[in-house]
Amino acid sequence: MKHTESDLRTLLEEYTHDPAGRQPVPHLKAIVRRGRRTRRVRRALGAGTALAVAATATVLLTGPLRTGQGEAAQPPALARIEAPPKLREEFPVVLGAERSTLSLIHSERFSTTGAARTVTFTPTSHFTGYEVVCGDPRAWIVISSPLKGGEDGGTSGRCEGGGGGHHDKLSVPSGWLKGPQSIKVWVFPADAPVVKVAEELGRCVPSGESTTCDEQAAGRALRNQDVLDRLSAEVGERPGEWAVGIYDSPSPGPATTADSSGRPSPANATTAEPPGTSDPGQTTPQTTPQTTP
Amino acid sequence: MDDGFAEYVAHRHLRLCRMAYLLTRDWGTAEDLVQTALAKAWVSWRRIEGNPDPYVYRIIVNTHASWWRRLWRGEVPVEALPETVDPNDQAAAADDRAVLWNAIGALSPRQRAVIVLHYFEGRTLTQVADIVGCSLGAVKSQLGRALTRLRVDPDIRTMNLEELQR
Repeated sequence: MKHTESDLRTLLEEYTHDPAGRQPVPHLKAIVRRGRRTRRVRRALGAGTALAVAATATVLLTGPLRTGQGEAAQPPALARIEAPPKLREEFPVVLGAERSTLSLIHSERFSTTGAARTVTFTPTSHFTGYEVVCGDPRAWIVISSPLKGGEDGGTSGRCEGGGGGHHDKLSVPSGWLKGPQSIKVWVFPADAPVVKVAEELGRCVPSGESTTCDEQAAGRALRNQDVLDRLSAEVGERPGEWAVGIYDSPSPGPATTADSSGRPSPANATTAEPPGTSDPGQTTPQTTPQTTP
Repeated sequence: MDDGFAEYVAHRHLRLCRMAYLLTRDWGTAEDLVQTALAKAWVSWRRIEGNPDPYVYRIIVNTHASWWRRLWRGEVPVEALPETVDPNDQAAAADDRAVLWNAIGALSPRQRAVIVLHYFEGRTLTQVADIVGCSLGAVKSQLGRALTRLRVDPDIRTMNLEELQR
């Protein structure tokens, strides 16, 4: 039998009324919560892709060195750890359907781990991004950056799992473009007792089906200031190569660079802090636009 | 962040759920689909200019298509319906509607989206093309194939109107 368009319209209208008479209720809080989670995942994916590229580049660059020196003379794992990390020149940003790239505007290199470092730079837009790359991809990193509401957000976990993120107009603190801004970075050696310290301080909160303090939970625990202070005190300063890059919309001037003992430009300075002397007023990051790797 | 998002949800949620139900044919899945779409829209809310409906519709259609691909279980729609009815049988009217409803369910996600957007949401074919992200010609083609499979004859309405006017 043939139907008419009118039949079709009537049927569609009738079938969209729940026979039980129920009406779906909007759960605004749940919707916004899912939206925030989506935004965090997108940012993490952007940072994760960046780190994957950096890690691949590191492995490729170290391969010929290992071949030339002979595996017996230098273990491959050690060669990878010693490789100087490379920062990429551009940082891809994906915001919904919009894709763009940020250019490297400032970078700093460090040759020791275990101490907090404050990296200061002058942003050129609301989309400032940052990324930490490590000579040893298994190193632990914590990045703390200010958010719009004044709280601290950031990333923590293994360096290989994603060590960066970026702001947008919704997350950037007020007055972002009015002057120099800074982020604080901790890098700890791969064998730092993160799990032990997190458990001792009762900061390890397993998620999902896990009941033990696994690496993911320990990585999240690193966002607590007391965990960072204890870990810095236990590990102390050790040799270890890592670098941090700041990315932003292209600015008129060239990118500035510095090393841990170098002379950064006045607008982009770095400050080394001994273990346990980082800002005691810093609170545990609760709201993070970037996710834990 | 708000900027009218809460008002939009309060005002449009029910209608969006009905539209999503026509795509998913399950109220629970429809609500989840709408919630997912609204969460995605929330992320980009401040960048949406003008009426958010087309943007939200597009998310719903695309998300449903991706879910459908994931959940597809191998049903193969056939050209001939498995049973026929006597056109003079008044009691068969309800069965006709059930047959039509089942036939809608056998359409591909894209064809179903075109049908729902055009006949339920009252969108023009140009608007439908914009929402589903293809050309007007492609939408006309999808619509024609869908109507053929639904045994809906666009000329019948015209013929009935002509009969009424006589």
